[in-house]
Amino acid sequence: MKSYQTNQIIQQFQFNNGLTWAYSILWLFLSIELQPFGISLPLLLIGVVNTGFSMIHQMLLYRVKQKSFNVENKPVVERILAALLILGLLAGNFFTFISGIMALKKSLSTGLIYSIYMVLVDILIIGVTSLNLFKPFVTNSFLTTLSILIITLVFHSLTLAFGQKVSNWNPGSQKFGLGLLLLSGLTGNLLVFLVAASFYSDNQPESKGKRQTSIRENLIKNHAALLGLLFISFLVTLALTSNFTFSYSFAVQNNYSNILQSPSIQYPFGTDNFGRDVFTRIVYGTQISLSVGVLATAIPLLIGGALGAISGFYGRQTDNIIMRLLDILYAIPGLLLAITIVAAFGASTTNLIIALSLGYIPSYARTMRANVLQVTNLEYIEAARALGQNNTQIILKHVIPNSMAPMIVRSTLTIGTAVIATSSLSYLGLGVEAHIPEWGNILRIGSQYLETYPYLAIYPGLAIILLVLSFNFLGDGIRDATDPRLN
Amino acid sequence: MRQEDKNKLVDYRQLVIEAYENASKERHVSWALKLLSFPFQLIVLIRYLFNKRKDDSKHLIEKVEQEFKENGEAAALKKELLIQEQRKVSFLDQSMSQSQIEKSSENHFQEAYHQEIKKRVNSRYRKSNTLPQDFLHETTMLLRLPLGFLLSIVLGFPMYLLLWIVSVPMVRYIANRLVAMLLVIVGVIAIVFTLLYLSPSDAALNILGEQATPQQFENFNQVHGLNDPYIVQLWRIVKGVFTFDLGISFAGNERVVASIMRRFPVTLQLALFALILSVSVALPSGIYAAVKANTTFDHLFMFIALIGISIPSFWQGLIFILTFSINLGWLPATYNASNLASLIMPAVVLGTALMASVARMTRSSTLEVINQDYILTARAKGLSSKRVILRHAVPNALIPVITIIGLQFGAMLGGAAVTEQVFNISGLGSYIVNKQFIPDIPSVMAGVIYIAIALSIVNLIVDLMYSFLDPRIRSRINNGQ
Repeated sequence: MKSYQTNQIIQQFQFNNGLTWAYSILWLFLSIELQPFGISLPLLLIGVVNTGFSMIHQMLLYRVKQKSFNVENKPVVERILAALLILGLLAGNFFTFISGIMALKKSLSTGLIYSIYMVLVDILIIGVTSLNLFKPFVTNSFLTTLSILIITLVFHSLTLAFGQKVSNWNPGSQKFGLGLLLLSGLTGNLLVFLVAASFYSDNQPESKGKRQTSIRENLIKNHAALLGLLFISFLVTLALTSNFTFSYSFAVQNNYSNILQSPSIQYPFGTDNFGRDVFTRIVYGTQISLSVGVLATAIPLLIGGALGAISGFYGRQTDNIIMRLLDILYAIPGLLLAITIVAAFGASTTNLIIALSLGYIPSYARTMRANVLQVTNLEYIEAARALGQNNTQIILKHVIPNSMAPMIVRSTLTIGTAVIATSSLSYLGLGVEAHIPEWGNILRIGSQYLETYPYLAIYPGLAIILLVLSFNFLGDGIRDATDPRLN
Repeated sequence: MRQEDKNKLVDYRQLVIEAYENASKERHVSWALKLLSFPFQLIVLIRYLFNKRKDDSKHLIEKVEQEFKENGEAAALKKELLIQEQRKVSFLDQSMSQSQIEKSSENHFQEAYHQEIKKRVNSRYRKSNTLPQDFLHETTMLLRLPLGFLLSIVLGFPMYLLLWIVSVPMVRYIANRLVAMLLVIVGVIAIVFTLLYLSPSDAALNILGEQATPQQFENFNQVHGLNDPYIVQLWRIVKGVFTFDLGISFAGNERVVASIMRRFPVTLQLALFALILSVSVALPSGIYAAVKANTTFDHLFMFIALIGISIPSFWQGLIFILTFSINLGWLPATYNASNLASLIMPAVVLGTALMASVARMTRSSTLEVINQDYILTARAKGLSSKRVILRHAVPNALIPVITIIGLQFGAMLGGAAVTEQVFNISGLGSYIVNKQFIPDIPSVMAGVIYIAIALSIVNLIVDLMYSFLDPRIRSRINNGQ
């Protein structure tokens, strides 16, 4: 009989095993140059090293699966293998790093698993930020911000290594440590808050032996959702810190001596037809894409949610009128509604957000209405009414909190859709103003050079896919975490 | 023989009368019935007024009320309600003044009083075996007479059409949906028109440019009816949409509907091709993934489906062109009506999102069905695994999939704008986008409205299909829910 923790480790290993092999093969594949046929040595080297790590990973997976494996009392061989896997980070292999730490640690609390991903975000962000060192010049705040990021990384690594022993400290220093951790979340690393919340709730005296049922606790079973969360956190941090570390002039100022350069270490994704650095443009595009995506989700979430709650709770005429009006809005495809609004009021970011929000309202209202209808028929609403609470109190205190779960899932998934819609409209020339570095705008330029400089179109597209994929993974994960049948 | 015919006729008349009585229970239906058989109702009215003089129902109510008050029951009821109200307030710790309590108990009393009177009057009628003299009763009385029935057919024929629609549940359901769809279409027209009407830019200035004379501006506005008030323009558009005449476009002086109808088949062909392609891939693979749940194939397939949802179609189109046209040279990069191979890439790109979501939906709904008890029964009966899946599981699993297809088809028609732009197809989507840059308001408006109409029709068909296929929904409709 395997312990719960062993199963956890095996699942994580199985998940990571496929990914680490895929990652190694990707590098080997990339090292092949087609025209003229040849092999790029550095890429091949990375590929070979990663293949080596994948083999170790495979070996450890085999050993972990053996019946005699015991988490509490690991043999030396397993420990050495796990420690080796952690070194995979040096070759850029995150998956072996995650597996290695999980195999090495004695107990796997929720906070620990989130800390692994938190540290990975820091490492990623420092790596991307340091690419600026190859530029002709950097911003004034570059060094300060980079050192802050490195200090944060060290602090987070210490949290990862010793965070679980925090319960032995006295309450004063516990509070201080948590405060410091929360402060480090200001960089934009969303995982910090999950780590802090996990450590905080684990330290509560009543938490011992309690069944873990919150979304945060259930989410760690879904490895894909965690990877999605990792990438989203990375992008949020990048969007926040890029203002201090990336020079905006590379993204918008024309430099005619540098037109259409191929990717190099100085310009990782090459330069476009105005000599602007595509990499910096994509980094700055993150800000637009994320903020449009989040706003175009938050606005309809509030409006549609309120309308749905009202019509579901009051029923009859109110319901009829609201839902029939929303049916009309629902009949116009979102993209066409956006085109109509842009035709009437011109292309701008504000109009884009309004147009997208308007199109999403009906589906939110429908989801909310269905949930509220379900909840209002339950006994506790009747009880609240019998106790003399008025409708407003019942809606705000009982109905809305209990029908939020599907709305959270839907909004996570909608952010991805909104990002795609934004870039599609920008690609058509109807979205964000053409001079702003936005992913759709970058792709629009790239599409004109598809035959000669395809990388101009490939990289921004990959950024969009990864972002949307991450939100979809996270949304699926949250859906599974809130589904009582799966718990 | 004759007697039988006569009996049949009487039976039939009885059926009509029952249907009429049932239909009259709903207020708006009853008014519509009266309106449609107006001349016949006049005759009924005359008879009603004539009979009413002999009627004593008013007297009866007065008599009952008087009795109720005189024997002290009314006062007792009032007192009881007041005490109840006081108890409620004291129990819930509500702070209410005496006058408030009295007022609310008075309200309760009025309600209870009317109910009580009504109850007593009804019991009187029941005892004396008579009916209150009202208009509905009078109508059915007249319909019972052969002459009256004949008169109603001659004078109020449209009423019977409505009666048929209202009293056959399936027909009524379809009629309801049709009316709702018409309202949605009118609403769509109003929203799209209003949005474009509110536009701050001056259309004449945009099209004619700065140098045009005031005379030209005036002429432009005159031709396109831009000087008319809002409501007149809106009415013209609503009428125009249904009569397929939306005037001429701002630029190019072409008839808007004619150019839309020329492009609509292209978009429709593309969309249908994409639909067939994606459904024929998604359904089998979704079912297979569900049967092989939690295997490597399943995980890999669901990952690919998730990528299919996450990929922006224009980027996918660009990558396809880069790979299959530029690098490999297998397929043409732009659409050409005479070459069917040029339709493959656009159809795949347009259908990807639908393919992915249908596959995911098929998998999850098949999984849900497979775990139900009747599948276990089917297996226990010794049916082959293939037969259990294809005959018992799949038909039930497909019901939610049909909805998803209907919904996604809408997104596909909207998304066609992007795909058409990438592959340079002169369909309706790219027409709207290109006209938007001018901006040519009538063309954009007409394009959006007609796509929305096409969508509403598709959704209506899907909905009706659903209700005919699913016996649960069918029986719910027949039970009048």
